[in-house]
Amino acid sequence: MIVDVFNEIVSVISYVIPVMIALMIVALGGLFSERSGTINIALEGIMVMGGFIGAIVLHYLLNNTGLHIQISVFIAMIAGAVSGMLFSFFHAFASIRMKSNQIISATALNLFAASVGVFVARTVFGYRRINVDSSYRFDVAVLSEIPILGDLLFSSAFLSTYIGIIILIAVIIILYKTRFGLRLRSCGDNPHAADSLGVDVGRMRYAGVLISGLLAGLGGVFFVVAFQNRFESDVRGFGFLALALLISGQWRPQRIFVISILFALMRVVASRSDSIMGIQAIDIPTEIFRMLPYILTILVLAFTSKTSKAPEALGEPYDTGKR
Amino acid sequence: MKRIWEKIIHPFKVFGRKTHTLFANIPWRKLAGWLLYPLALLFGALVALKRKIGATRFGKRLDKAWLKVLHWSGEKPETIKVASSLLAVVFGLLFGFIVMLVVDPSSAGSGFLTIILGPFQQGMRSVGDTIFYAVPIILTGLSVAFAFRTGLFNIGASGQLYVGAFVAVYIGVQWDFLGPFHWVVASLGAMLAGAAWGAIPGLLKAFRNVHEVVVSIMLNYVSIYLVNLAVRSFIFNPTLNRALGPESSAHIPTLFLENIFPRSSINIGIFITLAAVFLFHILLNRTVFGYELKSVGLNRDAARYAGMKEKRNITLSMTIAGSIAGLAGAMMYLVPGTYIRILDVPVEQGFTGIAIALLGLSAPVGVLIAGLFYGAINRGGYFAQSLYREEIVNVIIAVIIYFSALSLFTQQMIAKYINRRTKKEIQLKESEGDVG
Amino acid sequence: MEHAIEMLNITKEFPGIKANDDITLKVRKGEIHALLGENGAGKTTLMSVLFGLYQADGGEIRVNGQKVQIRNPNDANDLGIGMVHQHFKLVNRFTVAENIVLGEEDTKRGFMRYDAAIKRIENLSKQYNLNVDPHARVQDISVGHQQRVEILKILYRDANILIFDEPTAALTPQEIDELMDILQNLANEGKSIVFITHKLEEIRRVADRVTVLRDGKRVDTVEVSTTTNNDLAKMMVGRDVVFDIDKEPSKPKDEVLQVEDLSVYSPIRKKNVVKNMNFNVRGGEILCVAGIEGNGQTELVYGLTGLNPVSAGKIWVNGEDVTDLDIRERSLRGVSHVPEDRQRHGLVLDFPLSYNMVLQNYFQSPFQQKGFLQEHNILEHTNRLIDTYDIRTSSGAATLARSMSGGNQQKAILGREIDRGNSLLIAVQPTRGLDVGAIESIHKQIIAARDAGKAVLIVSYDLNEVFMLSDRILVMYEGQNAGVFDPQETTESELGLYMSGSKRSEDA
Repeated sequence: MIVDVFNEIVSVISYVIPVMIALMIVALGGLFSERSGTINIALEGIMVMGGFIGAIVLHYLLNNTGLHIQISVFIAMIAGAVSGMLFSFFHAFASIRMKSNQIISATALNLFAASVGVFVARTVFGYRRINVDSSYRFDVAVLSEIPILGDLLFSSAFLSTYIGIIILIAVIIILYKTRFGLRLRSCGDNPHAADSLGVDVGRMRYAGVLISGLLAGLGGVFFVVAFQNRFESDVRGFGFLALALLISGQWRPQRIFVISILFALMRVVASRSDSIMGIQAIDIPTEIFRMLPYILTILVLAFTSKTSKAPEALGEPYDTGKR
Repeated sequence: MKRIWEKIIHPFKVFGRKTHTLFANIPWRKLAGWLLYPLALLFGALVALKRKIGATRFGKRLDKAWLKVLHWSGEKPETIKVASSLLAVVFGLLFGFIVMLVVDPSSAGSGFLTIILGPFQQGMRSVGDTIFYAVPIILTGLSVAFAFRTGLFNIGASGQLYVGAFVAVYIGVQWDFLGPFHWVVASLGAMLAGAAWGAIPGLLKAFRNVHEVVVSIMLNYVSIYLVNLAVRSFIFNPTLNRALGPESSAHIPTLFLENIFPRSSINIGIFITLAAVFLFHILLNRTVFGYELKSVGLNRDAARYAGMKEKRNITLSMTIAGSIAGLAGAMMYLVPGTYIRILDVPVEQGFTGIAIALLGLSAPVGVLIAGLFYGAINRGGYFAQSLYREEIVNVIIAVIIYFSALSLFTQQMIAKYINRRTKKEIQLKESEGDVG
Repeated sequence: MEHAIEMLNITKEFPGIKANDDITLKVRKGEIHALLGENGAGKTTLMSVLFGLYQADGGEIRVNGQKVQIRNPNDANDLGIGMVHQHFKLVNRFTVAENIVLGEEDTKRGFMRYDAAIKRIENLSKQYNLNVDPHARVQDISVGHQQRVEILKILYRDANILIFDEPTAALTPQEIDELMDILQNLANEGKSIVFITHKLEEIRRVADRVTVLRDGKRVDTVEVSTTTNNDLAKMMVGRDVVFDIDKEPSKPKDEVLQVEDLSVYSPIRKKNVVKNMNFNVRGGEILCVAGIEGNGQTELVYGLTGLNPVSAGKIWVNGEDVTDLDIRERSLRGVSHVPEDRQRHGLVLDFPLSYNMVLQNYFQSPFQQKGFLQEHNILEHTNRLIDTYDIRTSSGAATLARSMSGGNQQKAILGREIDRGNSLLIAVQPTRGLDVGAIESIHKQIIAARDAGKAVLIVSYDLNEVFMLSDRILVMYEGQNAGVFDPQETTESELGLYMSGSKRSEDA
């Protein structure tokens, strides 16, 4: 009995971790953009773009080369991240250089990514779907032998999990321990102060948006590899879920990490309810679990509007003339 | 009666059939496509030879006429906005064409022609379909535009549309005792549901100062799962994994439109939409309430100074915007052959509505025209499907939205150009005077 | 005598106005040099030239005897010139140390190192007795301490010349005392200080010398110890007053506006900026509130019109208590308001003139019937106002408010407010930024409104205007009523003393 429960927990965790990592990476990307002062609701579109390019690269590598599977995945991740970054440039250009409405330009990116993905996939491959079906899980040598911990974290794991954890730590260090992080945050909170001390606000904001593109693109590949095993023109609203995560986590990486576990758990419970015995027993419609993260975010917004930790200059184009 | 209609419509019909058969003839199609390249070349040559042509009498006359246009639009700032909208459309189409060229150069030309000639592919039938597909887009466009005029961004039209669609279909399936009023009640129910869904971000914006965009995005997703759950619980067709279709008494009536547009899906939704356009116009431009809404949208501080209740206006504006989007949901799903499916991304019509509102400059008639344009290229995409996927239409729309976002910049460029040219003309006059 | 700064014959012109006209300012090393003048005298422009925000059209700048070019604030920083702005430029969520090092970070391989910086901040803080904790978050410390962070920011960058732009405006009396000590400390340590102010008392406390500016020109530079406050006030405001308006003596009637113990809290400055004001205005008289900008006048009017809630006290209009009524209800009970910022509050710039002329009574007959706007009545009304108040437009009632000149925008607002038939007219800075013709026309309309029996309350920062219009003058200083005067029996110099806080009447 105890073994059964343990096995079930292990299986739930093995589902939760990849979802959590994908969500968290994209939310951390959004964090860079928004802490530098630019609203980025294009995370979904950038994720789609990254996932799409990553899937094409992976599809090619799996079918046409004899590369080791994890190396192929790694190359696909780089491809997805770079394409996400290039794609996010359009949002940066419109919202920083042109001082356009940041919501409109991001909406354009979302729609564009969704349609270009399908368009190219269908024209080139003939279907909406790009299959990258393969077994990506692997056991980490030695470490997977550790009792309990080894089962939880190191057996049948995804490469993305470890990359995600490294990125989380890197983000916390970059944001709070480096000169770049200090300057970036100052641009999101008070660009006038930053400018008066010689910080180039435009450049910092470009950097913020481009990094968000990089991480969201990477997150798109994580999603394709670890969650779906294929690319199907969208990322199931994961980009917007990551936005919800960013807001619920109040623009703080540590909180984003904690809440990402919760969000991922709800998502897994909703999508794998038939394979998890404990949930089958409770008999709650899975839609409820899918809704909860969004409702939670609205509640957080409604009840923290006075004490919100949102960057103070979020969404305001910086105008040097107004100093 | 039918005969008279046929007589009136006759020439169009012939035109329709002819184009249809012609388009079915593939060599001609390719030829038509290839025609685009010489046209492009010719355009290039025109640009290159502009100086030479400019020196001729014809060129001068052309230039004069153009300057007249510029003068006229220099005095009317709205024309610059319209021009920037048109420019966004041109850029969108151009980009779409380039993508088609990259993907398949040999048939890009004919495919492109197919897209822009969408409504005439099958004569009156496709004209009717164009209108049919334009209806929900015009309505969501109106919804977004209405909020824009009050200084709000309704990115939640998608969710409002979807809850509206559910309520409409629910009533359409369950309340068959309503007889001839069935579709009316179903549509009204959709409007109510959309209104309630729109009121949430409105209230949160007015009283908790929460950005309406973020709340609306969250609600878009909540609406998907809520509707999925409700469909599964109340009106599910498990064998086909979709919602049941509404009773035929709940279908939007087609009336005589069937005769004008044979075999088309068109229904009186277009009249309801025209009424909505008209009401939007009246409400915003003729009533006290519209005056208040516009004041709040254009200058919140001045509205407060004048003693208007800005919180009430914000809430009401989002509620009304939501009800229009809800009506769009009714128009989309109260038809035969369309069913609510189990989704996991928001319905795209809500986002297309943003494009339409931007293109139409948030004016009711502008939205109507932009929506019909969308319906047209949407049909074009449908016919181009064998050559190019219909997604190309959404690529075009996305590029149009992007250039709408840059519209402030394009407007400045156009204004600059006009100033430069009109000044040039003044200088020319002076120099002519000198010679004289 | 060695000079830290020499600004020689500085001239700076903006379209339509000579902000600085041949001004020379010499600041000695280690002295506190005050720059005194009314609003618009050219103080801030002169300092912006020194700090590199503007380029002078003429004249030259020398720092420590060397001729220099200052093209931007970075140049100024490199020359050791630092400025404490009126509005602080601080990141609220950062710690004091983070705010100070931003832009001049000490790093090792890209990682922040704070140890040395914090030590230096602590030393500076001790040296100048600033008492600032480098680890505290800016959002948690008082406004006075935030200002010290700004000072530390400059000192951290090794500035020797410090410019303070009206540094006491946002401070409490206690904090002002402490700032005065800090200024003294800085000067004792050899820093040269330029101190922009219009408060004579502060000049007397810390400044060694003072340069007085008026209307963009330098009046004089004098030693503070050998000059009286009367002389300074005269230099600051003294000019030939032009009484060029025919005005009958007022015939005051019943009290229209009564204000009792009124206090208004400013959410921006986080304190009561109007404190226990008592006054009244009668029908048929003009009461002018004189004073230097920023002494609570804006908030007083916000409190009277309902744009801001009052924190204490009562307001009566025509004998009715309106303290708890909202803007619309007050407007219906007789309050008209010509706002200070005519483009932000007074007009919807993208509306045609006609719509702007019914901004407060669009919902009343005859402009409205059964919920519909009656365009023809609105047009008729607008055309009448255009004629009556001489509003010049390019296409009549259909002209967009945005495309009208400032003077005509103001004439339109004033016409609208007077024409509503209200018994109280409140106008703030009714002629700011307008040309002579428009000013004259607006003054005439205001006096005509008074003669028609309205009670008129004018807030003006321009003493000329105050003398021209007023039947009574109320001087406001630091949110309080500093005294009420009869324009026939007072002089500009006397008012200057009250406006700068060096005198206060007993009964106020």
